[in-house]
Amino acid sequence: MNLPDFQLASHLIVLLATLMLVVQLLMVTQRMLITNIRLFAVQSLFLSGIAAAVAFFHHAPHVYFMAALTLAGKVVVLPWFLKRLVRKIGIEQEMHPWINPPTAMLLCGGFTLLGYLVARPFADTGNLGSNTFGVAIALVLMGFFLMINRRRAITQVLALLCAENGLFLAAISLTTYGMPLVVELGVFFDLFIAMMVLGILVYRIRATFASIDVDRLNQLKG
Amino acid sequence: MTPLLIPTLAQTALVLVLAPLLAGVIKNWKAKLQNRRGPPVWQPYFDLLKFLRKDMVLSEHASWLFSATPYVLFLSVLIVGLMVPMLSEQPPLKWFGGALAVIGLLALGRFFLALAGLDPASAFGGMGSSREMTISAIAEPAMMLSIFTVAITAGSTNLGQIVHTVAGQSSAFLNPSHLLAFAALFIVLLAETGRVPVDNPATHLELRMIHEAMVLEYSGRYLALIEWSASMKQLVLMTLIVNIFFPAGIAADWSAASAGRALLFFVGKLLLLSGAVVLVETTNAKLRLFRVPDLLSAAFILAALALLSTFLFK
Repeated sequence: MNLPDFQLASHLIVLLATLMLVVQLLMVTQRMLITNIRLFAVQSLFLSGIAAAVAFFHHAPHVYFMAALTLAGKVVVLPWFLKRLVRKIGIEQEMHPWINPPTAMLLCGGFTLLGYLVARPFADTGNLGSNTFGVAIALVLMGFFLMINRRRAITQVLALLCAENGLFLAAISLTTYGMPLVVELGVFFDLFIAMMVLGILVYRIRATFASIDVDRLNQLKG
Repeated sequence: MTPLLIPTLAQTALVLVLAPLLAGVIKNWKAKLQNRRGPPVWQPYFDLLKFLRKDMVLSEHASWLFSATPYVLFLSVLIVGLMVPMLSEQPPLKWFGGALAVIGLLALGRFFLALAGLDPASAFGGMGSSREMTISAIAEPAMMLSIFTVAITAGSTNLGQIVHTVAGQSSAFLNPSHLLAFAALFIVLLAETGRVPVDNPATHLELRMIHEAMVLEYSGRYLALIEWSASMKQLVLMTLIVNIFFPAGIAADWSAASAGRALLFFVGKLLLLSGAVVLVETTNAKLRLFRVPDLLSAAFILAALALLSTFLFK
């Protein structure tokens, strides 16, 4: 591969990874549920862009497949499914995080710093996009943080999906071609099953408690 | 001294004349986008002339601070206008200081304005001052961090040097740290010029105003100076943004031909940025005052990430 191509690709991948990070930060501050789902779709779009760029510049056709799967699954189907779920059970649009947005933002800035520090030894393996590993770790941490910070079951599902986006990015940045196809397919399938189960669970929680606030589940303790 | 004289005069004239026009253009476009006819673009000039002709009413409780503030504000913003590269990479006052001096002078003007809001002891003035300070306490660090980001890439806080370095890079816009810093600085621009998500420049509705509350006691010539400096500050901040992040077409020296070409590019870039500001103002509702720090802390985090990624993605 000639050098200017490599530089252009690395610029492009870093740019897309940064945009993913920015979208994730927007999700942390955003209060409206539907907007959050749309932001997740945008983030997945950037991720599939990264996968496509890696596939193109490495001439690795099976990564194209992953990009297409991300595009179809996470940009189109999952957001559609989540939106349908939100409309169907008619839950409240505004969510109430535990920690107020500015503090959450500062915490997420700290996570990003942590991610960068942890990823530093891996940053110069010379792979295409290896310097996005820090962003990937930050995305996973923020996904977990979102999961803790939000009370409603459906937003926790969204947070899980964000953490998975981070994992996918980590796989792309650490190895040359992403994870092996079988593993990717397995993860994807797992995710779909988890979505279905959680979708049903949300219905059940709502039917029992007339709310999807997961704190109410604590009342089940005997 | 002579080679410096013409650029200084040219840029002074540009700052003084272009600033009200830019404010008028933004106001006019905003009205058009909202299906109103809107004031003509040169309305701010008429307003300034009107204010200059009118008598002043000074509160008997006002001290010297109240009369000194318009001059301090006007001069500090004008000097900042001479330190920012507009048509050429070499601003006339480039030896006077770099990015830090620019931020410091803007802060000086704001400091005096806040004091002058408190000085006549009217309730609105104090409220405006306190709000302005609350907002600028977060907006200013965000602005500093995002300027430092580009300064690190350029290896200097000299604005001319920064513009020169960015103009030399081919794919500067693909650089994530520049992108983040641009986003942060754009939010700061909205906050510092009192644009819609933060403050509404068009109303005098008492409970939501920030800048207007602070200058409520001013009239006549002083009000003209303050309005003029507000529009100059807007021009200077927009110039800073367009020339640092998109230095396309900026001249390397002050020869007539290259300066003329740079003027065309400069006005074009300003109009593009004004268009973006107008779009943001029209599509967003004003935030509640207690939500404004959320927006500004987002700008701060963006700027901090920008600074971080200059080290990460070297």
